[in-house]
Amino acid sequence: MKLTEKVSKNQYYKIWFKDAWPYITGAVLLSLFQIITFATTGNPWGVSGTLAYWGAWLYELLGGSVEKWYYFSRAGVNATLRNGFLSDPGSMRNLGLIAGALFSVLIASGFKFKKIKSWKQVIAAVCGGLLMGYGARIAAGCNIGAFFSGISSLSLSGWVYAVFLFLGAMVGSKLLVKYFM
Amino acid sequence: MKEVELDCMGEACPIPLVKAQKKLETMDGGDILLVLIDHSCAMKNLPEWARKAGHNVEIEELDDGEWEVVIEKVV
Repeated sequence: MKLTEKVSKNQYYKIWFKDAWPYITGAVLLSLFQIITFATTGNPWGVSGTLAYWGAWLYELLGGSVEKWYYFSRAGVNATLRNGFLSDPGSMRNLGLIAGALFSVLIASGFKFKKIKSWKQVIAAVCGGLLMGYGARIAAGCNIGAFFSGISSLSLSGWVYAVFLFLGAMVGSKLLVKYFM
Repeated sequence: MKEVELDCMGEACPIPLVKAQKKLETMDGGDILLVLIDHSCAMKNLPEWARKAGHNVEIEELDDGEWEVVIEKVV
């Protein structure tokens, strides 16, 4: 029997790499890593704020300047911007996120380039992405930074976010069924 | 007893699930619905729902990141 066949039939390979982990395993790990993140970096976990820095660094690389933008003029944000990509824990974490997601899909041999099915999908993805990105910045957090990290640091704002997240999901589901079914 | 194929390749969650639910409503007991998917979370929620609804479910891995969910309708 070839090695790849042997591995794919191994029960531990199936449990650890092939099949999706149970939700409870994910929940425990998320909590654990939230504590580690808070303890080591001094800030709770966030994802989308870092993407705004990536955008700013890319813009500066192309010769632009974000110095005068209100968003980047605030002290804490400006410090992270000036310290650069390699000194930003959020950037390292987001890289890890991408690398980890790629690793998990490759090891489960589930990697596939998916073809775009219709222009509707492209328009919905672009509009959805813009709304999510813009919304996350004016709300000062996404479903990780404002929702998960908010609630886990006992902030009321996280619960307010949860209510509107639910309402948004309801509207989104209706639109999805209306335009994609 | 008939066999119906539902091609959901390239469709993201929860479209494959909703499409399968609607299709299954129009079918009779003993009929087989084959749902082709390439979205890994549909591989979790589609069989989960179908089993809860009392249907017989089998999953076949067609290729890397492609699956066929075979649902036998039970009334």
